[in-house]
Amino acid sequence: MDPQEYQQIEQQNTPPTPYLKNALKAFLVGGIICAIGQAITFLYIIFFDFTDKTAGNATVATMVFISMVLTGLGLYRKLGAFAGAGSAVPVTGFGNAVVSAAIEGKTEGLVLGVGGNMFKLAGSVILFGVGSAFFIALIKLILVSMGVVEW
Amino acid sequence: MLSLVSLFLVGCTNEQTVEISDMSNDEEERAEIEAMIKDTEEVQTGTTILVEDDVLIAIQVKPWLGFKERKIEAKLQKEIEEKYPDLNVLVSSDYKMLWESQKLLEEEDEKKVSDEVKKLKDLAKEET
Repeated sequence: MDPQEYQQIEQQNTPPTPYLKNALKAFLVGGIICAIGQAITFLYIIFFDFTDKTAGNATVATMVFISMVLTGLGLYRKLGAFAGAGSAVPVTGFGNAVVSAAIEGKTEGLVLGVGGNMFKLAGSVILFGVGSAFFIALIKLILVSMGVVEW
Repeated sequence: MLSLVSLFLVGCTNEQTVEISDMSNDEEERAEIEAMIKDTEEVQTGTTILVEDDVLIAIQVKPWLGFKERKIEAKLQKEIEEKYPDLNVLVSSDYKMLWESQKLLEEEDEKKVSDEVKKLKDLAKEET
């Protein structure tokens, strides 16, 4: 059996990926997570002294905290298995990536295990987030000083 | 299903609601500011609190115009400031402003309203 033949047999035997169903699940769960986030934003605006502008940071922190707790309890994994990208793309996925990596490294000790593994996945998110934010700000600064746009 | 669709469509009527507080003694001023907000077609709901020299105008723009919110806000602010240069005007599209000013509409105590408006104006300046 040559490699091509093997690949053909393999493709025939794998069940088809339910793309539409997966997308629908991700859409629904992602939407529900975002709706919860919006509800938390309104909660901060209505009951505390936050405005539209300032409530964003507090909301993100709360959402990340909730997903971290859920990851610790092992519930977020079940959600992730069901919704896939729907639970990974919102900011809650970030909290999940940090905590699950930390739990994974627990057996290797507190410093090299937990500390070293914690930002294994989320580290790149932070790095590229900060990096691209810097460059966007730089571009905007140049545009503002040239008088093309306003702050 | 059809009734659900019609329910959603009813939610999108283009009716404007503009409310204005009764604190101010200047009837003419009140009517004119109200007319100015009503003339701004993009505004869906507008609540105005007039107290002493302070004016707080909380607006919500029509659906789908959210991206132009800031521009509409600045336009209205400029219009009113030009007309009444001696008033301390703040036009805001922030939801917080609308929520609090709705509550202030029923408030009777002028001192309380004045304090609250000052507090909200400080809050609007906060960046993070």
